[in-house]
Amino acid sequence: MYEVLLYDGGVYKINELYELIEDVGGFVIQKTQVQVQITVTLAIPEEERPVIEEKSRELGGKLINVPLAGTEIAVVAPTLGRHHMPHPTCDIAEQLRRVGAITVVMGLARGKGRQTAQISADEKAVIEEYDAAVFVLGNFKDCILEHKVRLFEDIDIPVVAVCGPEIEELPSCEALVCGIGRKVERMRREEEIHKLDEVAQKVEEVIRSKRRELDEDPLFVHPAEIKDRVAELEAVQRSLRPAPIVLHLDGLRVKIPYEEWKDQIAAVEVYGRRLGDIASISDSRLGGSTLIRIKSRSEVESGQ
Amino acid sequence: MSEHDESFADQNFDTIFRQVMQELGVSRMVEDYRIKADPDAPYFIISLRLGKARSSVKVSDMALIDQASGGSKITIIDENWAPALLTKLWQLYGRDAVEQLTRFELIVTGPGPEIISNLELDPGEELRTKVLDAVWRVFPEGFKVRYNLANDKAMTIIGTEHDMQEEWMKLAEELHKEMGAS
Repeated sequence: MYEVLLYDGGVYKINELYELIEDVGGFVIQKTQVQVQITVTLAIPEEERPVIEEKSRELGGKLINVPLAGTEIAVVAPTLGRHHMPHPTCDIAEQLRRVGAITVVMGLARGKGRQTAQISADEKAVIEEYDAAVFVLGNFKDCILEHKVRLFEDIDIPVVAVCGPEIEELPSCEALVCGIGRKVERMRREEEIHKLDEVAQKVEEVIRSKRRELDEDPLFVHPAEIKDRVAELEAVQRSLRPAPIVLHLDGLRVKIPYEEWKDQIAAVEVYGRRLGDIASISDSRLGGSTLIRIKSRSEVESGQ
Repeated sequence: MSEHDESFADQNFDTIFRQVMQELGVSRMVEDYRIKADPDAPYFIISLRLGKARSSVKVSDMALIDQASGGSKITIIDENWAPALLTKLWQLYGRDAVEQLTRFELIVTGPGPEIISNLELDPGEELRTKVLDAVWRVFPEGFKVRYNLANDKAMTIIGTEHDMQEEWMKLAEELHKEMGAS
């Protein structure tokens, strides 16, 4: 299985690290250079970690665990009003980015209120494009248990619910973090930072169990293996979006229009096969993006 | 009443209302407040006992007034009063008659310097606007059906999601009386 790590160091002799990553069968997911400093997100086979660690030491850099790297997570608030945003929704999103996830923050169109809170089929479909969702709920136990729980009852991806009051159990979600209610300022106090860590930890657990599920019937190729090949497409190279390709647990989001580029994406060659044959390629609900879901080895071999 | 223990909500609303009032600088203007909520009903009540606002000020105390062709020229000295002054001038003479040359200079067409100098700016309105802003920031977003009670001493707002019940309004009125009788 691949392990995703973050290298933080200088640009001096960085090519040696890139070559070693390639030699051990790994991939560079993302590079961010600021003057002479560079951070590199990389995916390597987990048994090769000691070799990379040794090289990092030699180059004077640090190798950091980023357990959520290679995932895209939606942080959902009932509305975009100041009653729910930006605190603590943005603080949670920031915490998840610190452990490697790419996050989006979204508010529901009609999520406000108690009995009137609702989620549309479109919103559900958008949320289901991500690897996991964090629902940030409010203060009233009654409201959460009797009504807000409906917002995520039919969502097919793992859900982590975050709320204020202490609740022992909440249906329809994989994990629950209590003690974060409504906030009117940043979460900066010690106990609040611990709560943010707890949210990140719960999301990690949920992602780990999803990874284990995927390992039972492994993907035909790891998404990171496809990334480099898709990145060669002209439209991706011309894209000015900060992260034109985002890794998911079971695929990728490529931020180029589906209708225009579906054929070229399907024609990309991966280990002697067309990408279109080993993955399902579809339009994303978010405009201007294409979703690639990689089929499992058994699906490809049985020709499904 | 709700069958669930809502002590977290009670405590949290108290904290966030205090923080919002502090952020808006109205903590001293609110002498006391009560927040009462029943999410099962559902209703949410905020009742405030208002403190005394700053005493009113004449325009001549916060600005220099000169004669201008067809009206007066105002040069603002204390910018804290600028929003209140502009609102007053717009109310009295209309937006077309008030021309803002710079942040501090205004030309008012019509009234002479004497009339403008004697205008009084009422800080009470400014206070109410800010306190109301604090209330809306805390009030649950979905509780759109509202009933307000206000006098010089107290302000009470009750909100619910669907139909407002008589008994909840009575509850708000009782709370309002309690806050008003200091």
